[in-house]
Formats: sequence, C-alpha cells, structure tokens
Amino acid sequence: MAEETIYQRLQAAGISRRDFLKGCGGLAALMGLQQAPPVAASGLPAHLARGGDPAPLIARALATKARVPVIWLELQDCAGCSEALTRSHSPTLVDLVLREITVEYHETLSAAAGFQVEAAKQAAMKQYAGKYLLVVEGSIPTDGIYCTIGGHSALEILQEAAAGAAAIVATGNCSAFGGLPKARPNPTGAKGVLDFIEDKPVINIPGCPAIPEAFTGTLAHFLIFGGLPELDELHRPKTFYGHTVHDRCLRRPFYEAGKFANTFDDEGARQGWCLYKLGCKGPTTYNACAGIKWDAGLSFPIQSGHPCLGCSQPNFWDGGGFYQGQSAPLDRPGIGVAAAAAGIGLVAGAGIAMANRAQKRASDDGK
Amino acid sequence: MNWTSFLEFTRGPLFYAALLIFIAGMVYRLVRVIALGWARDRVKSRGSKLGGAVRSLLKGFLIWPFIPWVKNTFSRSPLIYVAGGLFHLGLFVVIFLGAAHMLVWKSLLGFGWPTLPLPIVDWLAVVAIAAMIVLFINRLVHPVLKLISGPAEWLNLVFVFLPMISGYILTHHLFFRYETAYSLHMLAVDWLLIWIPLSRISHFMFYFFAKAIHGAQFGKRAVAP
Ligand code: HEM
Ligand code: SF4
Ligand code: SF4
Repeated sequence: MAEETIYQRLQAAGISRRDFLKGCGGLAALMGLQQAPPVAASGLPAHLARGGDPAPLIARALATKARVPVIWLELQDCAGCSEALTRSHSPTLVDLVLREITVEYHETLSAAAGFQVEAAKQAAMKQYAGKYLLVVEGSIPTDGIYCTIGGHSALEILQEAAAGAAAIVATGNCSAFGGLPKARPNPTGAKGVLDFIEDKPVINIPGCPAIPEAFTGTLAHFLIFGGLPELDELHRPKTFYGHTVHDRCLRRPFYEAGKFANTFDDEGARQGWCLYKLGCKGPTTYNACAGIKWDAGLSFPIQSGHPCLGCSQPNFWDGGGFYQGQSAPLDRPGIGVAAAAAGIGLVAGAGIAMANRAQKRASDDGK
Repeated sequence: MNWTSFLEFTRGPLFYAALLIFIAGMVYRLVRVIALGWARDRVKSRGSKLGGAVRSLLKGFLIWPFIPWVKNTFSRSPLIYVAGGLFHLGLFVVIFLGAAHMLVWKSLLGFGWPTLPLPIVDWLAVVAIAAMIVLFINRLVHPVLKLISGPAEWLNLVFVFLPMISGYILTHHLFFRYETAYSLHMLAVDWLLIWIPLSRISHFMFYFFAKAIHGAQFGKRAVAP
C-alpha cells in the first residue's frame, strides 16, 4: 500500500490548495528558508532549489512525502514542552506539522496505558525501524533508581528507542542539557541526551519550555528535507538559535544608552528600560524569543517586564541567580573562605618575616 | 569544551580561585611590609600625626590632581603625569561606576550603588585604553625608561591592558560572539587578580599606606606635606 502523502491527507481534511500554499509560505518564512543554503541542501532538482520562492518547494515536498512517525519519550520532565506545543496556537506551523507527524507513542498523550501502550511502542519501533523520529523530553538520571517506566531505567528506554531512530530531537533544556533536574546538587545525576547518544544525529531544541515554533520548525525541516537543519556547536538549529535574545531585544536601545531599570517598579521599569541590572541573561542566551515570541507572537518575557533567565543555555539554573546581574561571578567565596585565604597570607607573611629576622639576628650575633 | 562552558569555568571556579589567591597574596605582601618594622619614634611630636596623615591623603586625591602644574613630577614629564592620571581615572570609573562591575561588587559585598550611564563609562574606558597605549609607547621610546624597564614592567602594562581592551570589545560586541568575548575578558581579569600580588601593581594598596606615613611624619613636625 502506497502511503498517503501529506498533501493528500490535508486535501481529505478539506484544506484547499490555496490554503495549503499559504501554509507553505508561512512555514518557509518561519524556517528562515529565504536564504539559499538550506534550500540548496534539500537535494531537490536544481531549478527548484536555486533561490527564489521556497514555498513551492515546500509544497512539492509535502505533496510527495509521507507522514513522519514520532516516538516521544518523557523522562525526568514536567511535560511543559508537550504542554507548550499542544497549547500553542500558531495557525500555520503548529497545525500543519502536528497534523503531519503521527505520534505513535507519547507517555502523557497516548490514550492507552500500562502494558498496552508499552506493546504499542514496541510495535511502532519495529514497524518504522530506521525511519522514526525520536523526541525526548526530560533529562536522564544516571542513578538507576530514579525514573523507571515499565520496569526499565530511563537510560535503557532511551538507548532502546534511539537504536532504531532516524534522528533524535531533544526538546527542552532538560533533555538537551540536563535542565532543572541537573541543577545543583543534581541528586539524580541527571544528564542530557547527547551525554549518551553518539551514533545518531541529535538536535537540541532547548528552552524551558522549548518555543513551540522552534520545535515544529525543526520538525518541518526534517519532514520536508528529510535531514537535519544546520546546527550550532551546542547542536541547536541555527535558524532559531543563531542570535542572542539581546541581539533582537526591543529594549536594546536602552541598553546601548545605559538606561536600566533598577527595581521592578521604578520609573525605569515603567519606561520599558533595559533589564540588565535585574539579572537579564539575554546577552549570552541564544533563542528565538525576541523574534518569534510566545502565544502566537503576542509577547515574550522581556517584553512583559521580566529579565531573560537564559533558559536555552546549559546550566541556566546555576547561572548565579535569576535576579543577579549577568556580570556577577558564578562562584563567590563566603566570608569564612575569604578569611581563611587572608589567614594563609598572614601566616605565610609573618612566618617568613620571622624567619628572616631570626636569620638576621644570627648573622648580626656572628659579627 | 565550547565557549559556553569555558565561560562558566572562567566566571566560576577560576574566578573563585583567582580571588582567593589575590586575597592571600595581598595580605602576605602587606604583612611583609609591616614586618619590616618601624624605627622607634623617640622624638617628641610637634603636631598631630593623624592630622598629617589625613591631610596628606586628602591632598593627594582632592587637590593635586586638579592643579598638577605646581608639582615637579608634572613639570618634569607632563605626558606621563597626564596619561597616568587619566588612566587611573578611567580605571576607577570603569571598575566602580560601570553597571556591569557594580553588579560584581554587589554580588561580593552584598550591596550596590548608583552607576554612571554607559556612554560616559564607555568614553572613560576609551580614555584609559588610549592612555595605556601612550604610556606603552612612551616607555618604548624614552631612553631612560627603556633602560629601567624589565620584563615585569612590560607585563604589568600588558596584563592591565588585556581586561580593558577585552571589556571594551565585550560591551560593543566586536569581533567575537558575546560568550567568547566574555570568556576572554574573564580570563584576563582572573589572570590579573593572580598577577597583582606578584607584581608592583600591588602599589594601589601600598600607595595609601605610603601617603599616610609620609603625612604622619610631616604632621609630627608640624610642616605642610
Ligand atoms: C570580576 C571581575 C570582572 C567582571 C565579572 C567583569 C565583567 C564585565 C562585563 C560583563 C562587561 C560587559 C558589560 C556589558 O556588556 O555591557 C565588562 C566591561 C568592561 N570591563 Fe570588566 N569585568 C571585571 C573586571 C574588570 C577589570 C579588572 C577591568 C580593567 C582592568 C575591566 C575592564 C572592563 C572594561 C574597560 C569594560 C568596557 C566598559 C565600557 O566600554 O563601557 N573589567 N566587564
Ligand atoms: S533587557 Fe536583556 S536582552 Fe534586552 S537589551 Fe537589556 S540585557 Fe539585552
Ligand atoms: S526570555 Fe530567555 S528565559 Fe525567557 S523564554 Fe526566552 S530564552 Fe527563555
């Protein structure tokens, strides 16, 4: 049986060709496909791939490709990334993509439960071996006693599912970098997917939660081009993580002018000035917040008056305090340790001075 | 190792270690100087030692910088005097009155203070950088200075210059990604913290003692320093 293509399915769902193409255009814009390289990398015939309007290209891809099966693991997570995704209402992208992936297994969303759902997962992994996309939400504990599902440790579950995956998408800071569970003192020995998986392509979509459009945009890329988008050194798609929040921040002119809010309710805060002194981590945070924003482009934390926490960066929970300036050191000696250091200096100084004096006296006596 | 984790290292454990070395080293230097001992004071005071010390410090900060031409250090080499003065002014403003640095002090001391607008700090950073370049060139071309400059003198200049220039690059997002520039700035700062107690840059601490002791001696003899 030839698998139904995405376009055929959309047609059956009553979506007109016009709406379909519009959706493709929106998708292209969001994915940043206006630049040539990703289009060229699509492997499509040259006349289609060479520059120009990428919407037809996407339309063509969606008209010829089958849906992508997805297995979605939730390990040490809060389901926030799933929540953000299912509740996001960006009409074009999220709809289009969510309809075009078949989530074969999802720890929270699957209707089945218990042994049934585990059996369904096994069946899906067998049926789509080598083809499915593995989405991981949540961190992996290295202490075996935490987070077991169906009698298996999180690590076993991950390794089993990763073995047959075409690629792995680590959504959220937890699965990308360890996230909240990894915050000091990291009682479960939590780590991210990349700490365990070396032989499969891994894409990180960090965030707390991940921006739904960044997730779906990356999936769309996989759907359309059958491969991974260009990634940065932390395995994040450059399209969404190529710029810092600070680069695109609407408060940036105030930063440049040195106008800062000093408290959350002072005149500066009311005037919309820069939140650097209130702990903003925007300058070191690579994420698409300031561009795509949240809730269908309504706003994002900094616009609403809260400093960026750096949620798409490794170890942001231990980044020196959410309300502590970006420049503050991460580790500070307490009074006791500082006094001990001073004490060492004192003892060493006094000791050497005394030794010198004794030596001098001895040589004076000798004269 | 990527730049993000390198930044964590330079802002975290490396800074921590550097700060402790700085504290231990400075206390050590101070103790060594104090332990050199004072000559016993057998002469009766004609004035107040304390008054003299206070007067000397105040003059050093509030009067001489504004009328430098009456001092012969100035008339002998005005370039060094002006460049040196501007460098120290820039350094002071950048380290204490820049927003980023005040936040460092705040995190260490537990309290903060108002800061100057970034453009002002920025210009003083440029002034300090320019002054350092002038001092460097002067040392290169001045025959006497050249003679008395050993490796330590050159290194002092370079090690203070590096945090300055990397800080400027960081603030202006020049050449590097922010976390890269930030890592380099922190690396330079951490190294400077370790270097200061080993070098003559520790003068900033002795300066105050020296001024006070001179002042006290003048005060004792009831003459104006
Ligand atoms: C723990 C010590 C320090 C930390 C954490 C630190 C951190 C920073 C940060 C985060 C910035 C950039 C602020 C921004 O992006 O707006 C900066 C700027 C700067 N830093 Fe530092 N810094 C430290 C020590 C120093 C020292 C010792 C010097 C000089 C010797 C220095 C010189 C500068 C300069 C010149 C700038 C640029 C200021 C401007 O152009 O307005 N910093 N520093
Ligand atoms: S609010 Fe944050 S991200 Fe925006 S300009 Fe200020 S420091 Fe940068
Ligand atoms: S503003 Fe910063 S902390 Fe907030 S969601 Fe965006 S990247 Fe995360």
